[in-house]
Parts: sequence; structure tokens; C-alpha cells
Amino acid sequence: MTLELNRRRFLASAGVALVVPIAIPHVSFAQSVATQFNPYLRLEPDGIVTLFSPVSEMGQGTHTGHAQIVADELGVDISTIRISVPEQPAEPYRLIFGQMRSVGSFGIRSWIEPLRLASAQARTVLIEAAAQDWGVDAATLDTENGLVRSSDGARGASFAELLASASELRLPNAPTLRGFEGRRYVGEAVPRIDTPQKLDGSAVFGIDVRLPDMLFGAVRLSPTFGAEVARIDPSTASDARALVEVPGGAVVVADRWWTAKQMADGLDIEWGSSPHANVSSADLTAAMRAGLDQPEAPAAASRGDATGALEASAQVVEADYEVPFLAHAALEPIACVGQLRDGRCDVWMSTQGHDVVRVALEEATGLPASAIYIHTTFLGGAFGRKTHGEVAVEAVLASKAVEGRPVKVVWAREDDMRQGQYRPAMTARMRAALSTDGSVEAMHIRLSGPMMGREYSHITIEDGVDFFSHAVLLDQPYCETNFLLDHHEVTVPPSTCPWRAVSSSQNGFFLEAFADELAAAAGQDPIEWRRAQLADRPSHIAVLDSVARRSNWSSPLPGPNWGRGVAIVESYNSRVAQVVEVEMLDDIPVVRRVTLAIDCGEAINPGQVRAQMEGSIIDGLGPALRCQITLQNGGTVQGNYDDYPILRIPETPEIDIEIVNTGAPIGGVGEPGIPPLAPAVANAVFAATGQRRRVLPLAPDT
Amino acid sequence: MAIAFVLNGTPVELDIDPDTPLLWALRDDLELTGTKYGCGIAQCGACRVLIDGVLTPACVTNVGSLEGAFVQTIEGLSPDRSHPVQQAWAEIDVPQCGYCQSGQIMSAVALLAETPNPTDDDIDAVMERNLCRCGTYPRIRAAIKRAAQISQAQ
Repeated sequence: MTLELNRRRFLASAGVALVVPIAIPHVSFAQSVATQFNPYLRLEPDGIVTLFSPVSEMGQGTHTGHAQIVADELGVDISTIRISVPEQPAEPYRLIFGQMRSVGSFGIRSWIEPLRLASAQARTVLIEAAAQDWGVDAATLDTENGLVRSSDGARGASFAELLASASELRLPNAPTLRGFEGRRYVGEAVPRIDTPQKLDGSAVFGIDVRLPDMLFGAVRLSPTFGAEVARIDPSTASDARALVEVPGGAVVVADRWWTAKQMADGLDIEWGSSPHANVSSADLTAAMRAGLDQPEAPAAASRGDATGALEASAQVVEADYEVPFLAHAALEPIACVGQLRDGRCDVWMSTQGHDVVRVALEEATGLPASAIYIHTTFLGGAFGRKTHGEVAVEAVLASKAVEGRPVKVVWAREDDMRQGQYRPAMTARMRAALSTDGSVEAMHIRLSGPMMGREYSHITIEDGVDFFSHAVLLDQPYCETNFLLDHHEVTVPPSTCPWRAVSSSQNGFFLEAFADELAAAAGQDPIEWRRAQLADRPSHIAVLDSVARRSNWSSPLPGPNWGRGVAIVESYNSRVAQVVEVEMLDDIPVVRRVTLAIDCGEAINPGQVRAQMEGSIIDGLGPALRCQITLQNGGTVQGNYDDYPILRIPETPEIDIEIVNTGAPIGGVGEPGIPPLAPAVANAVFAATGQRRRVLPLAPDT
Repeated sequence: MAIAFVLNGTPVELDIDPDTPLLWALRDDLELTGTKYGCGIAQCGACRVLIDGVLTPACVTNVGSLEGAFVQTIEGLSPDRSHPVQQAWAEIDVPQCGYCQSGQIMSAVALLAETPNPTDDDIDAVMERNLCRCGTYPRIRAAIKRAAQISQAQ
């Protein structure tokens, strides 16, 4: 029994602690590279339960959810739980696609059952230990508040007293799980366990790490995508501790970051040539539009005969849509402390991409994975951007240049915004054939733009399907027969990167803005039309009904320049519907009210589900209304929050949220609130003005 | 020549380039990392601190201008998270990632010092300089109103 062997191995080093590893149901293709098998749960004699969670905390609240799950299943007070992210990616922490990453809104739905199992195993052996000690039937005992108690209340023992004897017992493979009835934490709006640290400045983010002897690094990175350093005049940084060439630029190391930054800005660098030196957004948009006109493109999904049915149809609706590149613009910029010495590499960083960082460091240092340690801090926002490892490589190379002293490399905001890793720009041509009752007889979706999956070698593009480009559209719910999704690929100079909700963010816009056009062409109310098309999907209907009711969908609006729009998107196994009310002020849409309903199955923490929905609305409004990244002369125009204006507090709409549980499996929460927002705003603008706006952002110059 | 000022009630002396922004002096020299870097151009509010009671972006304030000033950062707000704004923030469970919250809290403290019963417009006027990409704005608004109640009950 591997489990048993692992457990005994770690019991030896864990003293009297009770250590419970976990068997992950997934089959992972990646080999475990860790030198330490980090157990999931460790119960210590001081009453503290440490959970090694594979998920980073970037604001999404997963650590609190994990603590709730463990506290209930084990029978402890949530205040006794500590959460730590393992220092080395290992098999037990990997997601279904074989990577340790905090992505894909998997945090709760992927880990709840393994966490329940480990907690129940621990509870079972603690009870068994007490039962043997007291000579009673284990069935008469239970746990609560860190104690094993007899059902008559006559006997009790703390977990601490039982750890030694419980450690000798074999973990049950299939312990009884507690039911969902009478839980203390799961299903409740439990306060976040990390809130106190975030009120007094004590929470440590990657940019805050301070080590003895640490130096500081600032970067000077190429202003043009694809250009490398051709020559640096070292005399322009003669006071630096080190001047280190790194991929795409240089790091200046000094005793203080501000000093390093001044020197980095003043470096005399000659940049090499780049094939992208003349590229602009206008060129890329033109290339993508041309791809929409190509007679054929590789298909990602094909059912029936969409082309033939469209040709034969009496009513075809067609529309083209465009979305721009987007930056992540997390408030905490890219930063990392790195140290390379004695054949060992350590990084301290706010990362959501542990295996990506590991691979980048293996390549940069030549060290084996077993010598690489990743110390995970809180993430000051991430939204997908912090899956990458460029800054870790820079910090480690900088450390090597200063005899292994730790170096903290911090990117300026402008570096963060101008170095790519964008949500891809994309265009779509949507065509549908409507039958007389308004249902969709055929649909052809042509995408033209980059294929982000090319950037991720661990997930290949198979049969034309790229999950980084085709989510939402592959399994669109409006056309069962005669469906074609194809994709003309246009390569772009900047690297592209998952941005909250990944391709669901743009594809939700394409599909739901177009759905609104179909409803209008059918002469039907947008909600009624969707209800008719989605009639066999009870969860979709439930969230639609919720927003129709709570938004007073059919009630009069305050003025003629107001409009209401609806959208519904399923992503990450959750269904979210939104109704948006806009007021047009001089042609500029002002979002006044958003009504949202989500069905994510069981809400582990309804307070945090609401927080994620509120946040998704506010986060999504910037790009829906005005944020975009544009390219000129091979580089990025925008650089800071003055020209990439995310939403500010006065613009926050009134928000109404309902969590609807139709009994569906647990779905994701961090991302599904994003995709319906932009199309609901665009559809509201149409309702107010009678004009379709098919290009995001909707009001670019505001 | 060293620059002397009072930081969270304690006199400090800094012998550094007077052009250094207070933000980096706080973080790298004085090792108070609660004040955050977000933009460097007074756009995001993550570095807002109180200088002689006035809400100020530390990223565009040079230490050379601080001789004799009283500087208060998030670390100096209370020893035990008991400031009414911190209490309200905990009660409403405001933070998500938390990175911007030091600046948000300092701005709320300044707002309530001037305006004990702020209207929504009062809140907007001060808080619009603080960005939050997690989108905690509705909770920030609720927490400021709650903090006003807590302050008045004290």
C-alpha cells in the first residue's frame, strides 16, 4: 500500500503528529519531482491542524473554503487551521491536466472530495484510538471542537492526547463522510481566515518578502516584442552591484529598489532587431478581419451540414464581433525574491503557476527540480498573469551575479503592462439560420485570431480544438444540429496568457451578443427567446428566471435613454445570468444596475461566492466599457492606470445577486461571473439605442 | 544630511537621497511593507498615507520634503486592529486579495476624520483615488458607513 508506506515514512519525521496524505482520484501523466512528500493534513500536539493546500490564495477565497471543509469533516474549530502551500510541486497537488497551478476555478471543486477524504480518515483513526483506549464501540463516539466524545457525553479526549495511538492505526480507504446536514462551516458565509492580516499591513505578498542580506533589482525590458539586447554600455550603471542580461532585457541590482530603478531607466541599451518592429493593432485587426473572409479554416467542431443549411435557409443572421488585447493589471506588480547558492534554488513569490515556475527555473539554472523550492506568498491579484516565471528567472540570475545573495526583482507598473501575456485580441463572424419559430437550424462560428494553446506545450491542440481559445463555443447551447466552429489562426507579437475566464471572456461576448441579435430577428423578447432555446436545461432556466424576476425585466425604465440587456453563460461548470441596466449619457453607456444569478451547485461559502460575483461585475466593466491594450511600432501603447482605466468606486453599479442551487455538481466561482457581463452591457446599449455595438470596449475614449 | 521625521509616533532619521519617494523609503529602508506600490504616479492609491493628517500618495512624495513631518502608515493605525475602520472592514469582510486595502483603509480613516457621517458622494470624492481590481467597492462603501456608526458609538 503506497499510501500506508508514505504515511509511515512521514510519521517517522513528524514525531507524534498525525499525518494524513491523500490519494488523488486523477491519473496524472506528470512524474512527481518533489524530494518531500508533503502531507495534506498534519495534526500537531498543540492542537494546530496544518493543511498543505495546492491552491494559492489570490483573493478568490479558496483557503477559507478549504479550512471550512476540513474543519467540518475533521471536527475542529476553524481557528485551529493553518494553511500552507507546498514548496515543491508534487503529484498529489496536481490538477487533472498534470500541473500544480491555481487556475481554472478549480480551487474548491477539484479539491473538496480529497480534502473530505483525508479529514475523514484522520477523524476515523482518532475515534478508533479513543475507542480502543476506552474499550467502547467506535460507533458510539464522534468528534467536535478538536475532541473525541462519547455520544452520552461521559467521556472525552483531545486530539492531542490521541495523536500517538492514532498514528499507529491504518488509515481506512473508505471512511464514512459526514453528511451535509448540520455542518458548522460549509454552506455558511464564514469570514475569510485571511482578513485580519489584510487589515493592518501584515499580510506578506511576494513584493513584501525581505530576507537578510537581500539586494534589489529593477528591470529594463525591451520596448518592442521580440527584440533582445544587442549591446549595453555598462558604464551607465557603474554604481550597480550587478548588471545582468536576462531574456528580453537586463536587471540592475542595487542596495535599494529606487536606486536600481533609476539606474535601469538610465541604461544605455541598444536593442536588436525584431520581426515585429512595425506591427500595430490596426495591422493585426486587418489580418484577423481578412481571416473571417477566408472560405475555409480548420474546424474545432462540426456537426451535420452547417454550410449547406445556411445556404438553404430563408432567414440568415450574420454579425462580426471584435475584442482587443487586455492586460491583467493586478495591483501587485510582477515581483520575486530569488536565491541561487550551494546547488539550491529558492524563490519567494506570489505565484499561481508552480509547475511553470519550476520548469522555467530548471531551464535557467540547470538544477534538477528536486533542488528548486518555491515559497508561495499571498498574491496581490493574479487573474491568470501570475502563472508565468519570467521574473523568477530574472531574480535567480541576479542572485547568481551577486554570489548567491537573495535579490528581490520588482517590475514597475509599466513593465507589467507592456510585456505581453495578454488576453488575446480576437474576431468572430457569427452566422445562424433561424426557423420560423425562432429556433436555430444551423450555426457557423468563424474565429480569426491567435490560438493561445500554442503557448502551452503540456496541453496540445488536438483535432483543431484549443481549450484556451474555444471554451463556451464548443458546447454552445443554441444549435444542436448543423454546427460548425472553425478558427483561422493569426499569430501575434505579444505572448498571450489566460486572463480571468480565459476564452470564455471573449466567447461569452460573441455568443450572447449574437443570441440577442437572433432573438431580435425572431421578433422575440431576449429572455423569452433564451427560455425557449434552453428549455431542457433546468439550471439555465433557473438563473434566467431569477434575473428576470429580480430585475423586474418587464417593468418601465426611468427614461427613453435607458435600456436593459440580458446574457447567460455557462463556464467552469457554473451557470451565470446577468441583467444590466444602462443609461446612455451623450452616447456613453453608464451601467446603473446589474442583477446576477449563479448556479454553482453547493455554495461552500455563500459570502465568498457573492464577493466573487460582485468583483467579477466590477472587474468586467472596465474592459466592457473602455480598457484595451493597443500596439504601435511593435510595442504596447498603454503603460499605467491612467491609460488603462479600470473601474473606480463612483462608477460601481447597484448590484443584486442570487445564488441559485438546482442540485448541480459544484462548479467554479472565481471566473464564471465575467463572461455574461460584457454582452449584457452591449445588449442593454442596443435596447436603449437600437444600435448594435459589436466591438469591445463599447466606449473606448471615456 | 539626514532627514528627521516622526513615523507612527516614533522619531526616525533617514540618510538617503532626498529625492527618494517616501514609498520606497518606507518599504526598503524602514521595512514597513504595509504601504504598497501599485503605479508610481499617484493613480491607484495603494500607497496613500497620512502626512500631518493629510492623505498623501507616498509614491510621489520625496522624503526630502518630510523634515519634521508626522507620517502615519497602516502599521500605525492601531496595535490590535481595533481602529473603527479596521473593525468595520473585518465585520463586512471587505478584502479579497488585500493588496490595495492598506491604501483603502488609510483613505477611509482620512475621510471619516473630516466627515464623520459621509454621504455616498463624500465617499466617492475621497475613495475614487483608490483602485481595487478585485472589485471590493460595494463592501468598502458599506464598511465606511459601518465605521462611521462604530466611531459614533464610542
